[in-house]
Amino acid sequence: MDVSRLISKVVGDKREWRQYKARKQRLPENYRAALDAAERYANYSGLSDGDAIMRMLGDLIDLFEQGAANSTPIRELVGEDPAEFMDEFLQNYKQGDWKAPARNRLTEAIRQAAGEDSDENAPNEQGRPMS
Amino acid sequence: MARLVTEMLKGTLEGIVLAILSDRPAYGYEITAWLREKGFSDIAEGTVYALLIRIEQRGLVDVEKVPSGKGPPRKVYSLNPQGQAYLQEFWTTWDLLAQRLEQLREGVR
Repeated sequence: MDVSRLISKVVGDKREWRQYKARKQRLPENYRAALDAAERYANYSGLSDGDAIMRMLGDLIDLFEQGAANSTPIRELVGEDPAEFMDEFLQNYKQGDWKAPARNRLTEAIRQAAGEDSDENAPNEQGRPMS
Repeated sequence: MARLVTEMLKGTLEGIVLAILSDRPAYGYEITAWLREKGFSDIAEGTVYALLIRIEQRGLVDVEKVPSGKGPPRKVYSLNPQGQAYLQEFWTTWDLLAQRLEQLREGVR
């Protein structure tokens, strides 16, 4: 990556981050508190890719803004088990987590060890065959 | 029993949401409201939302941002041909599963 692209990437990320923080400030206090808590939990998700993190946070704040606009009670937004909801939500970004390369290596190594030359039935990040 | 319903719903929610979308396009809040009305009262809007993101990533739905009177624009989801095909596969699998479970129940009696 050349220097100008690197700079624009870092600055771009910063701008997105500032926009996210500004949106969060506009949320009603209790929705903001809930979003803060969800964000703290997401810190443990192992997401390490900057783009994936911003995409995840953007999707997360969409949900809380929508909830605040519809006056959906916070409990109805996140359910009885908020960690379960968050785990499910975070699954959508796991290609950007720190374990993704290890996961792909494991899948590939097992495929070879099992003597399979085609991976069309292997589970992948896009979903699983149903049968 | 509520717990059991929640557990069973997990595996089938994707098909249920696709089936709802095959009827007409909808946004997350509407889908959740519909599910709650039909007795899936424990379902969290966030759970449906996470699922919608997933099926969007997998290319089963098309998404359109529609301005709303209050708050941010709504993402309206509609089933595309890939989604239709996947829904067909879901129902075939569902029939198979229901049939096998029925056989199991008869066998155990």
